[in-house]
Amino acid sequence: MTQPIDISGYTRITESIRTEAKRILSDGTVSAVIGYTHVRRKGSTQPILITNPDDSEKLFFSEGCLNNLVVYLTKSKKDVPKTGKIGIVVKGCDLKAVVGLLGESQLKREDIYLIGVPCNGVLGSLINPATELNTKTIAAKCRECTDRMPVGADFVPPVELAAMPQMEATYSDKIAKLEAMTPSERWEFWKEQFSKCIKCYACRQVCAFCYCEQCVCDRNRPQMVEQSPRPSGNFSWHLVRAIHLAGRCVGCAECERVCPMDIPLNLLNRKMAMEMKELFNSEAGFEVREKGPLNSYDEHDDESFIR
Amino acid sequence: MHTEKPKHDFEPKIIAFVCTWCTYAGADLAGTSRMQYPANVRVLKFPCTGRIDPVFIIKAFQQGADGILISGCHPGDCHYISGNYHARRRFAAFRKLLEFIGVDLNRIQFSWVSAAEGGKWVDVVTDLTERVRTMGPMVEFKDLALEEQWSGGLNSPDLQEIYEAM
Repeated sequence: MTQPIDISGYTRITESIRTEAKRILSDGTVSAVIGYTHVRRKGSTQPILITNPDDSEKLFFSEGCLNNLVVYLTKSKKDVPKTGKIGIVVKGCDLKAVVGLLGESQLKREDIYLIGVPCNGVLGSLINPATELNTKTIAAKCRECTDRMPVGADFVPPVELAAMPQMEATYSDKIAKLEAMTPSERWEFWKEQFSKCIKCYACRQVCAFCYCEQCVCDRNRPQMVEQSPRPSGNFSWHLVRAIHLAGRCVGCAECERVCPMDIPLNLLNRKMAMEMKELFNSEAGFEVREKGPLNSYDEHDDESFIR
Repeated sequence: MHTEKPKHDFEPKIIAFVCTWCTYAGADLAGTSRMQYPANVRVLKFPCTGRIDPVFIIKAFQQGADGILISGCHPGDCHYISGNYHARRRFAAFRKLLEFIGVDLNRIQFSWVSAAEGGKWVDVVTDLTERVRTMGPMVEFKDLALEEQWSGGLNSPDLQEIYEAM
């Protein structure tokens, strides 16, 4: 049964974002603000970077604002100016990416001004951007979201969050289903999924945590990951991606959204996040920490699998 | 002095990623003590278990390994203080990932073998070899390497049609 989701707060959020962006740009708090703007197609959005206070009218927030803008703060996006303080519009999930990057010394807290957005969820995709937000069209990540209020942002629009209807959790259900299968069934499932991959690397491009100057998958002496889009190279790429994001991925699900072949990439990431919680009691994105679960250790870690 | 070797239909390829300070020395000890262990194991020497990247395991499977052994110093004995502690966490996570993807974890063995444990090295290698032998060859990754992206098969009606139209 589809239930509509109350997003009446988004108009007031838009107003607050505009006035706040205008204020911080004109009094010199920030040199630029990264936010969302309208595009010609109704309901669709795109990221925008504004430096002029008069442009703040271009900013807005709606259920179509899917992008995780935090990726523009990383060193992999060289065309975004990194001088001075930068204001950025973040949803709760994006804020967790900021927290992760702060811990990995990729950002300095004093260099960013966070405009947090109390979020009632966004659409799953912009293929039909003018659709109404309801329990069916909402993004899978929003169904099991626990961080609708951005915590620790510099400015949060004074808007009360509307109550959300009950929704079933997509990822945990799928993971449980996969875990119940036999290994060979799981292998068949992933083989089918990964065979679709065309190695466009959109998942890497859009990920806030894939900021390496040179990716191990692009190196060819020695070549660890086959680069052509063939099944064996695809497997290596997706496994390497999953293990490199283990304990770091905050679940913004951008990889899954941008994938042109609809590979359920976030399933792998969620599975690894669950394992990290179970094995090392560690969850990404809630506190700024210098070391994640895989670059720290405890002498009493479980070693029942080692003989 | 050599005992008669039994003939097997299938000789698995075992790739052992070992640390140079403990397990490599342990394997060396087994050799100098003239202990017998299956010749199926190919030893790759690394400075530390912390140097062993999960991608090496994937690569080994793709290149035809049937079983993988990863072995290094006991916790607390690492030459680089904490390399094996880090490796322990990394492989705890990576084996969960492999399991989720559908790889049988019986093909991958982690162990601590010190420089003095030549006998344990022999046990570990023999166990793994015999276990993998009963499981048969690892075909999943090898099949992938042979497969092309085109999932429809090269003699599908669609392609035939296109070919005839040309």
